[in-house]
Amino acid sequence: MEEDWLYEAITETYVPLISVFEGLVNDRIDFRLTMTLSPTLISMLGDPLLQERYLKHINKSIELAGREMERTSWQPEFRDLARMYFNKFSHSRDTFLKYNRNLTSAFKKFQDLGKLEIITCGATHGFFPLMDVCRASVRAQVKVAVNHYESVFGRKPGGIWLPECGYHPGHDEILKEAGIRFFFTDSHGVLHGSPRPKYGIFAPVYCKGTGVACFGRDLESSKQVWSSIEGYPGDYNYREFYRDIGFDLEYDYIRPYIHPDGVRINTGIKYYRITGPGNNKEPYIEHWAHDKAAAHAGNFMFNRQKQASYLNGLMGKPPIIVSPYDAELFGHWWYEGPMWLDFLFRKIACDQDEIRLITPSEYLRENPRNQVITPSLSSWGYKGYSEMWLQGSNDWIYRHLHMASQRMSELVKIFPHAESLRKRGLNQALRELLLAQSSDWGFILGTGTHTSYAVRRTKEHLLRFTRLYEELKSNSIDEGWLADIEYKDNIFSEIDYRVHQ
Amino acid sequence: MNILNKVIGKIKKLIPAGFTLERKKKPQAAKAPGARPEIPSFQETVVADAKFSHPEPARPARFIQEELPYQYDQDKIVLQVRDPRWVHTYWELRNQTLGQLKSRLGDEFNRARKVLRVYDVTNIIFNGSNANSFFDIQINDFANSWYIDTGHPGCSLCVDLGLMLPDGRFITIVRSNVVQTPLEGPSWITDEEWMIPEDMFARLYGMGFGLGRSSPVGGAWQERIKQGLFSSGLSSSPVRKEVKERSFWMKVDCELIVYGATEPSAAVTVQGRAVNLRPDGTFTLRFWLPDGKQYIPVKATSSDKLEERTITPIVNRETR
Repeated sequence: MEEDWLYEAITETYVPLISVFEGLVNDRIDFRLTMTLSPTLISMLGDPLLQERYLKHINKSIELAGREMERTSWQPEFRDLARMYFNKFSHSRDTFLKYNRNLTSAFKKFQDLGKLEIITCGATHGFFPLMDVCRASVRAQVKVAVNHYESVFGRKPGGIWLPECGYHPGHDEILKEAGIRFFFTDSHGVLHGSPRPKYGIFAPVYCKGTGVACFGRDLESSKQVWSSIEGYPGDYNYREFYRDIGFDLEYDYIRPYIHPDGVRINTGIKYYRITGPGNNKEPYIEHWAHDKAAAHAGNFMFNRQKQASYLNGLMGKPPIIVSPYDAELFGHWWYEGPMWLDFLFRKIACDQDEIRLITPSEYLRENPRNQVITPSLSSWGYKGYSEMWLQGSNDWIYRHLHMASQRMSELVKIFPHAESLRKRGLNQALRELLLAQSSDWGFILGTGTHTSYAVRRTKEHLLRFTRLYEELKSNSIDEGWLADIEYKDNIFSEIDYRVHQ
Repeated sequence: MNILNKVIGKIKKLIPAGFTLERKKKPQAAKAPGARPEIPSFQETVVADAKFSHPEPARPARFIQEELPYQYDQDKIVLQVRDPRWVHTYWELRNQTLGQLKSRLGDEFNRARKVLRVYDVTNIIFNGSNANSFFDIQINDFANSWYIDTGHPGCSLCVDLGLMLPDGRFITIVRSNVVQTPLEGPSWITDEEWMIPEDMFARLYGMGFGLGRSSPVGGAWQERIKQGLFSSGLSSSPVRKEVKERSFWMKVDCELIVYGATEPSAAVTVQGRAVNLRPDGTFTLRFWLPDGKQYIPVKATSSDKLEERTITPIVNRETR
């Protein structure tokens, strides 16, 4: 399952974003963007087996697009679109190969150029507020991520995107220990903090006791992009996500390009524009969408100018507006998203001088004096707190997750300096624990679709952890089995179990 | 102040762990186009590959636990915050602990009720008897978790799992960690150095939620909850979903397959465009057939360019 998501994300989001950055740099357009690359994503992008498989996958996609160009040759409007995908897929392969199959190196390049600030995330995207009763696990999530980041980028991350934007007061202590200087919360994380933040979310605050900076998310700019009612991506001229030829075309023809077990899946080739609210869809027209993306970029910039000048009057100092979006919104859900970003950056650089782009690190360097408060518990999930991950369908997992955390801390205490086989066992135990903690499992159980997969993954990792715990304690590690699960769950090869304390 | 005392904890859900795990899967709605099918993971495939290419030496079979335990043989109660007004607690007790209580209390034990005592310990260091207030929730013997309505946001809470004896005495069996629920609006505490007039803060506050420029303090949050302005996370889309007009539907389309064979060394064009032949000289083309008349000249030229054949199927599609 993760594998297909990765391929889609590479072709539809990461390569298009890299192309936007390349274009801007080539045209000497200055820009700033802060981007999270989670440790799991970086690991997947760097995995030789997945790289090999992506190459096969993209070659298949190119082949399908080629066949589509032939099949649609009597319908020029579709043939042009098939060609668009053919070019896009070919470009994706070229980019992938240009960066030696590891796209992380592309992002690193733009970070080194000072355009991109790459921040980290929890090691396996555990939801921190529901790990508060075992902070050792929060520490492990943070430290494993920071160490991994350092090994990839050759420096420590300046900031972190807390998984699901989930902040629990006190976790800033752990961030500080790990050398992290800033994080983000949803708007109410700052607005409902105490004492009351003078500038609302339009200036960062420092956490009381630690001085780690916290930036609150601006909802006005977020809404403009992702709101399903008024957001840009729902424009009728934009590409319709839900009409993929993987579902639309005759089965025998499409069979070689869908899932090997014969289940229809997205191929990435989609010929229609949103058209309107009904089911009737008209063919996508590239230049209409192009014009719309330019107009929307202009509109976004205009609104930020107005917002900034109003806030400037109110605050008596320039505001910072923090607009975070899911990376996969750009290109995957919103096909024109990367193009929109490109227009936006060009317009901001060339067409005006009222606002400018900035990264959190840069802002803090320029504005070191900020108010000290304790931000509020918050997340950007459903209803703003922990309910998405703590409800009738998924609350049973915490009993087991917390127990495993407690046992992991116990193991670290018993074996402070393990070597060889025991050390391998301890490191693997931490890997299994981290994998079990991924908030995705709780989320999937909460949404009620694909739940058996989430149940299986949760149990699998917890059971492996438990067996390791018992074998470690009774000094009876089954090396063959350990080697087997080291191979299956091979993330974070450099992990050090001692971070869990 | 004894507000909490008057509030009765409401039961929202009660799900013993074992139950949830074995519960039958709800029937799922028909898959929408674009929904991700459930498929084996990457790791599974890797494992399968490994299994077949490197047969492992047979190891003595050993018992491998397949299910998570119901509990872990400890006395424990854990409290977690769900949102400003609700907290969740789960617990477990060892049989031994219950046995000891039973032998200590004798008949009283059988007549006692299991109770969660929820203490408001805001701004104090709780020593077991100095809570600002508390309320009790009666639970049944089968429950091992509970959602507690705390009555008001922004407080520190601690929960005891204990027994309520017939004479009204309460015996604590285990005590939870202390949690603090968040505020549901802006703090009333202000900082002298960072003061801001109320009306200006109200404006910033409303803007923070993207709800215009004047919003009563706290009101913007309520508005946001009502409008459901939360990021959708992992698997939902900001892109407008199709409005299903009616559930019944049908679609029909037409494709045309043009195929043939010639000398493997010949050059073939269809509608003037070159076609690749298979090694045996056969070829197949597939076209999406629009309404109207299609002329499809298929021309083969021998490798020495001395001979040529053209065959032209004419196809008419009409849709009514």
